[in-house]
Amino acid sequence: MSKKSRSKLWFLVHSWLALPIWFFVLIVCVTGTLAVVSQEIVWLANPDIRASKPSDDAEPLSFDQVIAAIGRDEPKAIVRSIIRPDESHFALTVGLSYPDGRTVEAYANPYTGAIQGISPSFNFQQFTRALHGWWLVPFTHGYSWGWYLVSLLGLPLLASLVTGLVVYKRFWKGFLRPTLRIRHGARIFWGDFHRLCGIWSIWFIAVISITGTWFLIQAILGDNQISISSEPIVPVIARDKVPLSAPGVPAPMIALDEAIKIATQRIPGLDATFAFLPLNAYSHLQIGGRGWYPLMFQTAQLNPYNGEIAVSHLLSDRSPLEFVTESMRPLHTGDFGGLWIKLIWAFFGLVLSMMVLSGLLIWTKRTALATLNALKREAKGQRAPIAKRAESSEVHS
Amino acid sequence: MSRVVAVPPSPLRAFWLKWRFHINVLLLLIPLGFMPKYFADAALFRGDTGLGERVAGQVQVGPWSLTLAEFRNEGPSPDPAGPMKFFNAALCDNCAEQVKATYLRIGKPRSLRAAGVIFFGTPYRMGAALPVPERTPADAELWVTMEGWDGTMHQGSIPLSQASPATIAWLNKQGVKP
Repeated sequence: MSKKSRSKLWFLVHSWLALPIWFFVLIVCVTGTLAVVSQEIVWLANPDIRASKPSDDAEPLSFDQVIAAIGRDEPKAIVRSIIRPDESHFALTVGLSYPDGRTVEAYANPYTGAIQGISPSFNFQQFTRALHGWWLVPFTHGYSWGWYLVSLLGLPLLASLVTGLVVYKRFWKGFLRPTLRIRHGARIFWGDFHRLCGIWSIWFIAVISITGTWFLIQAILGDNQISISSEPIVPVIARDKVPLSAPGVPAPMIALDEAIKIATQRIPGLDATFAFLPLNAYSHLQIGGRGWYPLMFQTAQLNPYNGEIAVSHLLSDRSPLEFVTESMRPLHTGDFGGLWIKLIWAFFGLVLSMMVLSGLLIWTKRTALATLNALKREAKGQRAPIAKRAESSEVHS
Repeated sequence: MSRVVAVPPSPLRAFWLKWRFHINVLLLLIPLGFMPKYFADAALFRGDTGLGERVAGQVQVGPWSLTLAEFRNEGPSPDPAGPMKFFNAALCDNCAEQVKATYLRIGKPRSLRAAGVIFFGTPYRMGAALPVPERTPADAELWVTMEGWDGTMHQGSIPLSQASPATIAWLNKQGVKP
């Protein structure tokens, strides 16, 4: 095969990768972009999740102070968890259980502990993530087939990146001489646009396609009960480690702030940002947060009656393989370093969406012709069978 | 070859050629179709639609009681550890402080140590995953064990047929093995 026809073939492969499913790819890209900044969108739309300072010198409350404030405002509600979001302009997310049986996320002001509102039944964040992540197909047994459908897109995306760079001769020159011809017609413009966006998003497309493919591998491993996790399975607290007390008087537990202190001593560098309270009398209290490596969390599970750490899962416990696999999700979602990283991810998500669109526009203007020409060349070699096919289609019409 | 181009395509074929790469727009029907189910599930998980899909009734356990509900009104779901049936429960208003732990088991437990699976959650809403062996007889009883903070124990039961008719239907379908 000549060099020219080989690059032609690469070009055709590149053109055909996304074309038959362009709309699906586009919606997955757009919903992914929305999901990255979904928390920020809710912040704009719903004042309940904003962390408004009552005064300039207000200090954030400790978790125990927040629980005490909630106890004053809503004495019947039971706090199940407290999460301090990465960005300080967000209210605390508190898991609350109400006497009517609802378990909802509530937004608590980090400075006063006041419950500013509960998450509405339409949860925009969860909805965009579910639409992007598994196309809303329910999880019944194992991973949903929607998850497979979406994560499979990682492969053509990776192939698009590779074939795109192969057909774009000396693409690195595009960094030095960016070209975007506006006055030469739509085909030239969209071609330049596609190439320009493409080279500047090489890193992003690589990250998204590789991490997306990881989600596919994760589902395959999960559905076949293959685990690569070093995370220990935590048994319930032994019966003799839970004190007996007088009838109707729950055994006293250590304060949450005390538990955080114990966990921070045990895990150097821990920035404790979440606490999951025990799920029953024999269940542990979980404290966790990030450490020096922003893409992973560290946790400690404590006996809530005496503060003894039963199990901890630290960065140093992870295998090198887990450092790679556990980093995949945050790298995909961009939620590991605050607002700016999210905005960068959202921007390139938008660029990627535009690449799907511009690719489609280029195809409608050029590839249709290229394919027709390629078929013509092929037909020259095998004139008879094609002519025969044409005759049979004549019969049908 | 020139003939191929010269042949005027049928309207059907022209339509196909024009729209074949846009058929994938129909993939959007998948999330649209699953949307009602998605929102129903979201409401079920939040507890907006009650304890579970079907409330089985009250179970008296000594001086205490609980409301038992099937999380989903269906038979046990397959699990690597064997078929599992998910139940939700809420403790009675005045026993929330009294009860240290609640357990669920098919058949009467001999002791507190064999009381079955423990409920996780708050007194207002807690859940347990109950293993259901395929050989479970259709007239089996579901036993609830509650433990007080001082170690006292109380038991109560409800027929499995009342707690979960769907599980009985599932057992009958498995063909109850002697």
